[in-house]
Amino acid sequence: MAIDSTSAASKLAGMRLPPGIYAVVGIVAVGTALWSLAPETGSRGETLARLVEWAPALAHGFAMNLLISIGAIFIGTLIGLLAGALAMSKSFAGRLARLWIVAFRNAPWLVLIYFTTYVFPFEIHIFGTSVPFPDWLKVMLGLALPASANIAEVFRGAVASIPSAQWEAAASLAFSRWQILLKIVVPQCVRRMLPPWMNVYAIITMGTALSSLVGIHDLLDTAQIASSTVARSSFTVLTYVATLVIFFAYCYPISWLTRTFEKRLRTA
Amino acid sequence: MDTLLHGFVTATARLGLDYRFLLDDYERVPFVQGLGVSIEIIVSTMTASAIAGLVLLLALRGRNRLVSGLARGFIEVTRNTPTLVQLYCAFLVLNMLITQWLHARGFDNPFKPFFWVVLVLSLHKAAFHAEALRAGFDALPSQTLEGAASLGFSRATRFWRIELPLALRAALPALVNNMVELVKASAVASAIAVGDVTYQSIMIWTQRDNVLALMLLILAFFGVLTWLVTLAGRWLERRYRIPGYGY
Repeated sequence: MAIDSTSAASKLAGMRLPPGIYAVVGIVAVGTALWSLAPETGSRGETLARLVEWAPALAHGFAMNLLISIGAIFIGTLIGLLAGALAMSKSFAGRLARLWIVAFRNAPWLVLIYFTTYVFPFEIHIFGTSVPFPDWLKVMLGLALPASANIAEVFRGAVASIPSAQWEAAASLAFSRWQILLKIVVPQCVRRMLPPWMNVYAIITMGTALSSLVGIHDLLDTAQIASSTVARSSFTVLTYVATLVIFFAYCYPISWLTRTFEKRLRTA
Repeated sequence: MDTLLHGFVTATARLGLDYRFLLDDYERVPFVQGLGVSIEIIVSTMTASAIAGLVLLLALRGRNRLVSGLARGFIEVTRNTPTLVQLYCAFLVLNMLITQWLHARGFDNPFKPFFWVVLVLSLHKAAFHAEALRAGFDALPSQTLEGAASLGFSRATRFWRIELPLALRAALPALVNNMVELVKASAVASAIAVGDVTYQSIMIWTQRDNVLALMLLILAFFGVLTWLVTLAGRWLERRYRIPGYGY
């Protein structure tokens, strides 16, 4: 393992610049071009100052995106692993789990978010006390549903990549099916599941932008508020390009790491 | 037809689902139109994304380093930012600038929200198509390529007659998957008030507060569409199977 990590480190150090660098240069170039084309009512410097003024609000909005994405991936992983494990069995529960996976893989995310936002109550009554059920939690659950279906597929794929001879060998040593799964197969799967799991997380993070449509004050919603408050074309250009750059700056390193891990797995 | 509709509404009412909007022309007609608009968006995006994906692939594989670098950068941006943010960047920024520029010269903006949705979704999916095709090209057996080169085919002929047909077949499952994702992604059109099925449903449920009933209808609609795309994909895979590969 130690040799493994040092070789990975040297590999990382010797790597060329990722193509994302060019992408960032491209966005900034196009953004600047649009900004210079945009009609300006005041001075350009003042517009930039406005963006700096709004930066804390935008950062606060992005924190909401992160909160939702982390919660959704956490809940989604728990349900997904369970659904994925159940989907492998031939029982009634297995059939239900497969139905769950198919249903939530084929539903548009936006519709699922509307679904959880409008169908769930705004507070829950438990033993006489009412607990508020905030909108961000509903969106989190709405994104956790497709996340769970995708992670269940990731889990199934990883288990399918383990030679079935291992199942037979373990069964001949009198392990039960659940014991084989939990003690022999899953430990080997974790490494293989990491890249696709990170991929699901990046997609979920991008999906959190949809929460602005149901009135969550996330980054995109804050950008909309900012552009309509300041009401200047050049500022609108700046805020939306900034939004694009922020999402890219967060999601691109994840996808780059995912590819690096995939390459390591293939050579390992 | 009318009695059938009435029967459906009363039957579902017993289950606690409110489909009464179907009996009201002022709501049923826009809803049915919304279904049509959604299908229009999906079909035009599928076509445009296939063409744009091929163009991106040509740019990626071309000999011009600058063009292939730009294509690479575009794909990275598209894959790593939310579609909704891209849509807003196009509609609220580009479209706004175009409108202002044209207005200053006394013209109206000819681009409608429908156009922007199709454009953004097509370019978004084109990036995924190009990636799938690139993987297909990487999977081509080197013997085939060498064989084709040794028979004296030109670079263009090799690409169009040998490499692309084989890569397309290898990439077909991934391409079909992209198309299924495209069907699902088309729901974002409602964000910029294109009158698609999601948008019309929002209009209805803000009036009637029957979110669950409409939601089930939309999910069934998208379920049928994704199922049809999957079926078409399976048919294509069988039709264009490479003998001796797969199962």
